[in-house]
Amino acid sequence: MTATLSQLFKKFNQLRGRRVFILPTRFGILYAAFLFLILLAAINYSNSLGHILCFLLASMGVLAMHYTYNNLAKIEFLSAHADPVFCGQDIQFKLLFDNQSNNDCYLIDVATKQNTLKSWNPFKNITGFNYQSHHLIEQLSAQQQQRHTIAISSKKRGKQALEQIRIASRFPFGLFDTWTYFTSNDKAIVYPQAVGDLPLPISNEQGQYIVGAKTKGLDDFSGFNPYRSGDPIHAIAWKAAARDDVLRTKQFSSAVSGNIHLSWQDTAQLKDIEDRLSQLCLWIIECETAGLNYALALPTELIDYSHGHSHQQHCLTALALYEH
Amino acid sequence: MNIKANQLSNASLIWLMISLTLATLPHFSYQPLWVSIIFLAMIGWRVMAIKYHWPLPSRQYKSLIALQILIALATGFLLFNSYGNLIGRDAGTALLVVMLGLKVIEIRNERDYYLSCFLGYFLVATNFLYSQSIATASLMFIVVILMTNCLISVNDNNQVLSKQKQLKMASKLLLQSIPLMLVLFVFFPRIAGPLWGLPQDAHTAKTGIDNKMTLGRISQLIQSDAVAFRVKFDNEIPPSAERYWRGPVLWETDGTTWTELQFNSKNKKPTITSSGQAYPYTITLEPHDKHWIFALDFPTNLAKVQKTIQTHDGKLQSIKPINQRVQYKLISHTQFEFNANNDTHLDRALQLPEGQHARTKQLAQQWLQISSDPQQLIQRALQHFNQQNFFYTLSPSVLTGDTIDNFLFESRRGFCEHYAASFTVLMRAAGIPTRIVTGYQGGDINPVDDYLIVRQQDAHAWTEVWLAGQGWIRVDPTAAVAQDRIELGMDNIMPSAMRAPLFFASSSQLIDAWQSIRNNWDAINNAWNRSILAYGPELQKLFLSSLGMTSPDWQKMTIYLVVLFNLVLLIIVAFMLYNKKNNDPIVATYQQFCKKLARFDIKRDNHEGPLSFANKTKTLLPHYQANIETITQLYIDLRYGRQQSSLNDLKQAVKQFKPKKTMK
Repeated sequence: MTATLSQLFKKFNQLRGRRVFILPTRFGILYAAFLFLILLAAINYSNSLGHILCFLLASMGVLAMHYTYNNLAKIEFLSAHADPVFCGQDIQFKLLFDNQSNNDCYLIDVATKQNTLKSWNPFKNITGFNYQSHHLIEQLSAQQQQRHTIAISSKKRGKQALEQIRIASRFPFGLFDTWTYFTSNDKAIVYPQAVGDLPLPISNEQGQYIVGAKTKGLDDFSGFNPYRSGDPIHAIAWKAAARDDVLRTKQFSSAVSGNIHLSWQDTAQLKDIEDRLSQLCLWIIECETAGLNYALALPTELIDYSHGHSHQQHCLTALALYEH
Repeated sequence: MNIKANQLSNASLIWLMISLTLATLPHFSYQPLWVSIIFLAMIGWRVMAIKYHWPLPSRQYKSLIALQILIALATGFLLFNSYGNLIGRDAGTALLVVMLGLKVIEIRNERDYYLSCFLGYFLVATNFLYSQSIATASLMFIVVILMTNCLISVNDNNQVLSKQKQLKMASKLLLQSIPLMLVLFVFFPRIAGPLWGLPQDAHTAKTGIDNKMTLGRISQLIQSDAVAFRVKFDNEIPPSAERYWRGPVLWETDGTTWTELQFNSKNKKPTITSSGQAYPYTITLEPHDKHWIFALDFPTNLAKVQKTIQTHDGKLQSIKPINQRVQYKLISHTQFEFNANNDTHLDRALQLPEGQHARTKQLAQQWLQISSDPQQLIQRALQHFNQQNFFYTLSPSVLTGDTIDNFLFESRRGFCEHYAASFTVLMRAAGIPTRIVTGYQGGDINPVDDYLIVRQQDAHAWTEVWLAGQGWIRVDPTAAVAQDRIELGMDNIMPSAMRAPLFFASSSQLIDAWQSIRNNWDAINNAWNRSILAYGPELQKLFLSSLGMTSPDWQKMTIYLVVLFNLVLLIIVAFMLYNKKNNDPIVATYQQFCKKLARFDIKRDNHEGPLSFANKTKTLLPHYQANIETITQLYIDLRYGRQQSSLNDLKQAVKQFKPKKTMK
């Protein structure tokens, strides 16, 4: 019985579509209080225009509710996309919003759930207390799609989902606060943090060509490349950035080139798995920067020698998703 | 809410300053000058702070906080000094204005801003306590739009919307609210005020005739063309000479001032038998703060709406003072017999102050020796006025000493009150019971809406004498001097300079034009007063009954209110929410194309641009590659690129695109 009822309810809910919530703000409540005062004065003085004013403002209040609702109700969240980041960096989620109405929508606040915030007051939870605002969409033109980027700090290696998004608006009168939730399954890949103290493993198991002095190779400056996320911070050309605000990475060409085999065993002296992954991560970046061919051997996966951006991403993703 | 409480933008503050100043504007004429000065100074201070970064009271400028407190204390003292309390209408409004002024210089965050806005709305309401004219209402309508605009502009701190867009949105909201407001106005169950005792100053002193008469008082009234009341006759309008609107009846005199008889319970209702034509009519009486209402001599039914009793001398006494506009229906007959057989107060109608009016009394004695017939004595007196070089003037000279003797034997220039008073003294001295009746005489018919308008300038005083067997008979001594005043009405005998403003007075055509403007304007005002301002509990019941609601009470009204309000709201919101087909014909045409494809289960995903969609479609419908390509190319050109392609081409192409299922 209850099962069928709940099924019916679910069905009905689907028909209704997305839920949009609306509540008066504290200013809305204050507005209502003032209306009551005006009504009292109008009755007491039998003042016809006082009545009219009160009724006009009351009607305005009711319509203001619809204005605020309209400002948000027709907005759809389509998708979110984020480039991979290293743990500790902010994930830049690009959210795609679609305004399906014929009116421009204004001043919409985008927030994501912040599980760390808790309050004993259930009312606070309703009004979005545990959501942290990231971005204010100033205008979403009618019948247009727009991308808006929000930055969310990465928590740990692996896949990080956007989870719940809350968009809210008080526009245009501030008397009502309307909001709605979207659940997003889009995930961002978070690479391990690129840190470690171990030197590059200079020998491989087959005794192939060995890179002699990695530091020497890294020291030969050969030019600039545009900054890509994941580039080591110490390689950024800060002086150049101060000139024109464009981040560039200093490129070093190594005198020698060769193949490096990066293996899980090379990091055996580190106890913690995360530390080992971080060390591998750093090595991959160093190898890529140095223009070397490198292979990655994880207990679960083996990636053959290669180099280049996609190879690096492949390796880093393998590290990010490594499960033991 | 996570939207950060930003600093208030200058634009929103300027809007607030403008709207608050406009909302206070009418008060400048009612309140003491210093209140206006303080308010404007504070607004000015804030504006200077916005424009030229003048310091405002804050933690940084402690001395300014001290100054602010000083101003607050000083105004508090001044307010208390001028009003004695802070409860009444005047004091309360002045307090509100001063408080707003002091608040204006310390608006720091959103909360302060909203509070000031809402106080501004309240300030609009206080304006209506002073004036409910069309002009005030229009100004306040603008103020409400501006206040609402303030709410938008404080929400739009970064000025995403242009000022015009903000104003447009505020005006749109207000216009959309009007139908809802009308439903509320008509059906919201009205409660008869006051809820608590009204302060003394709830109603400003109104001009109008008084229940005592001093020579020279009524002639002040004729300077005013303010409306006393308006009359709508159901059928015929009686001729001007019969239009005597009765007010207080004056009996007692100390030689200069005439007053009413003290009301006591012994006073009996008069016996009035009326005959002749019946005139049913409705009077809309402007508030005059007195305890009587006016009626055409003599009403046969008492006003039902305004609870009244008829006093022994025929005045309609209302229980409450008339401090709002009231409407009442009466039926009058202009032929009447008033207490034909006896009147308990005849002795009072013969009293004259001892040792005054010696010459007048002497004259009466002379006449009495010639004939003691009351009819002849009355004729004698009227002839005296008519033939002895008496003048009717609107600006009589100030009389000193024994005013009656002075008037009758020296100045001989007077207004209706002079004639009425001296006639009464003459008659009483001759032993005929006489009393003075004050009220209005005549009135103009407004051809625009056929209303008879009685203005303050129509104020009049006449007399009634009591003759055995005939009762109280109206005798108008003014008519003996100025026949036109009675037969043509006041407006026609006034010099042109008093009938129209100076500019118009120069030619008779301009005066006519002025009169017609005045008539039209008055008809509008009359409609405004009758249908909007007078709409209270009684009129609401009448109106709803006339709409077909049987015995309207608050429960019924509430049901109607809720149903109609939601119905109207539904219509408005439906218009608002109704998502019209895309206005852009290019997009609309392209959507037609997509619709045609949708029949083949080819759907355009959200992320797909027209090009990638076309590629997908081409593989699925290879036979139509060419069509799809042209349509897509035309669409891209039109919407995103060069506008050289024509919309018609696209429309044509989409029209011709008829994929068939079999080709799949």
